Amino acid sequence: MTGTIGKEPYIEIRGVRKGFSFGAEKVAIFSDLSLNIARGDFVAVMGPSGSGKSTLLNMLSGIDRPDSGKVRIGDSHLEQMGESAKAAWRAHNLGIVFQFYNLLPMLNTAQNVELPLLLKPLSRRQRAERVDTVLDLVGLDGRQKQYPASMSGGQQQRVGIARAIVTDPGLLLCDEPTGDLDCKSANDILEMLRLLNRELNKTIVMVTHDPEAAGFARRTLHLNKGEFTEQFQREPEDLAPQPHRDEAMEQGVARQ
Amino acid sequence: MFSQLKQTAAMTGANLGSLPRRAWIATSMVLSVALVVAVLTGFLSMAKGFEKTLAGAGSASVAIVLGGGTNQEIGSDIPADLIRNLRANRGETGIARDSAGAAIVSREILVPIDVKRLADGVDQTLALRGMDQAGPAVRDGVALSQGRLFAPGSREIVVGARLAGEFAGFGVGDRIRLGSVDWTVVGQFSAGGSAFESEIWADIEAVQSAFDRQGQVQTLRARLESPSSLPPLRATLASAVKTPVAALSEAEFYASQSARTSSLIRLFGWPIALLMAIGATAGALNTMMSSVSDRTVEIATLRTLGFGRLAAFTATWIEAVLLSLVGAAIGAAVSWLVFNGWQASTLGANNTRMAFQLTVTGSVMLQAGLLGLAIGVVGGTLPAFVATRLPLSAALAGRG
Ligand SMILES: Nc1ncnc2c1ncn2[C@@H]1O[C@H](COP(=O)(O)OP(=O)(O)O)[C@@H](O)[C@H]1O
Ligand SMILES: [Mg+2]
Repeated sequence: MTGTIGKEPYIEIRGVRKGFSFGAEKVAIFSDLSLNIARGDFVAVMGPSGSGKSTLLNMLSGIDRPDSGKVRIGDSHLEQMGESAKAAWRAHNLGIVFQFYNLLPMLNTAQNVELPLLLKPLSRRQRAERVDTVLDLVGLDGRQKQYPASMSGGQQQRVGIARAIVTDPGLLLCDEPTGDLDCKSANDILEMLRLLNRELNKTIVMVTHDPEAAGFARRTLHLNKGEFTEQFQREPEDLAPQPHRDEAMEQGVARQ
Repeated sequence: MFSQLKQTAAMTGANLGSLPRRAWIATSMVLSVALVVAVLTGFLSMAKGFEKTLAGAGSASVAIVLGGGTNQEIGSDIPADLIRNLRANRGETGIARDSAGAAIVSREILVPIDVKRLADGVDQTLALRGMDQAGPAVRDGVALSQGRLFAPGSREIVVGARLAGEFAGFGVGDRIRLGSVDWTVVGQFSAGGSAFESEIWADIEAVQSAFDRQGQVQTLRARLESPSSLPPLRATLASAVKTPVAALSEAEFYASQSARTSSLIRLFGWPIALLMAIGATAGALNTMMSSVSDRTVEIATLRTLGFGRLAAFTATWIEAVLLSLVGAAIGAAVSWLVFNGWQASTLGANNTRMAFQLTVTGSVMLQAGLLGLAIGVVGGTLPAFVATRLPLSAALAGRG
């Protein structure tokens, strides 16, 4: 599961072409996109609306398939995998944070967070323990029984983050995670993502249109007309790939 | 595999939890299924009630002899030499004999007649049955409640208890015109609530002459020595005449009569119910399609979390099946409450009115319920398939 340390990047996008057809018309989004992301990196992707940011994330999550080219994450070549294989891969390796949280309104906080754990061979008690652990981590301990409708946007997004990390995935994909939040809540969420990156060594790819939000990332990429036009890097010394540790989350929680 | 179960259970739970959002359209599906089930239950319980009324009504020790290759009284014809032969036969015929040693047999003929009903003045078709003096003796449970039996050869009638109250001119001593001649009512009889109570009885020869049917006999009714005397009777009949005649026990006769009518009811009922079910299936399809579109974001979200297509299919399908199950249960329960024991009447075996009760049995509810369930099973399949094909990018795209 762990990629070769130091040699190969954790995420590798190489020569990706992707377009959408509107009836007979074919619109190219990417004609030749390449990108490496090291394990433990926190990448912000910025760019004008329609530049392909969400499409990029969708290819990283296996939701969209490139027309050609390769998308490798760890040892998994997503472009070669079938739907059910990708679903299983997502269940084990990926957490997604949505702009509109995408919580299930008929489920309470604990039930929402528990969902990804249902795909794992865990007992009810083990699941409840994990749920409590991550809810504690995102500062929502005690709100297990609360329903999404009764929570603020910031709280709902924290539930969304808890759900994304409850299976302890190596990679988090966030599409405008603060796009629907006020300034204060957005800051809390971004702090939390930074913490997950620093303390728990999660690799994070975050799409945002907010330069301040991008400031929380180690690296900012600008996407324009299907190409990366600009790069901005912070703390280059932190970018050395680190081994992913499965016990990282527990340690992180212990340190709280 | 275990994970698939948990996935499906979770997705199904989320589905059902979101049902209140679709309360109206879900209710409309439930009600249309209930309606189909109720309609089919109505027809089937009618057929069942008809069978039940006639089943067990017949005796195993009374034989009915029919001629002319029919299994109904109307159209049956008994050859005159058969009657002569039977009367002359002093041996073992299977037919019981009275104290004087005469075979207990009644020659019978049925004539439909129109009589005005008291309540609404509308003409009703009743059965006038010509019979021998042994007629009441070849029927179980028949008793004169008033007056006496008609005298041989005279224009006298006795009327069934059910008719007496419903029609004018059926009081003992009344004179009534049936056909082209006047008859005198000399008695009333009860017959244990059987279809006979809707008949008028008279002497066979009087009926033959009044309706210009001299010498015509449609059926013979005979009292058997025992239920096992039917085979000897059949043998006697076979050697007596060359034309085919059939001997059935009264029980067998009624069963065959009810089978015709009840299968006719079913023949009507099933196509109507099936047509309605096709309509309801289209409605269920529509309901479930809107359910899938209503849940697009939720389904896609779960799929991005790693939930499989099988769970998406099954959860949607289970919703359809559960809704139709609820509809079927409501339809069955309501029709049981409303239909069961409902009094109905139909034309009986001899073109005469026959009362019976609708009977909602377990098997009736099961058949109708399964049809209702099929609506969900079939109507939910395509939407369930659509649920597996939703573009997952819909989950990321926003609020849906
Ligand atoms: N499923 C799709 N079908 C057709 N066109 C799509 C689809 N997804 C995205 N697009 C198009 O691709 C372009 C890039 O979309 P997207 O990646 O969502 O941009 P961004 O997230 O940067 O705003 C847009 O023009 C959009 O209309
Ligand atoms: Mg976007």
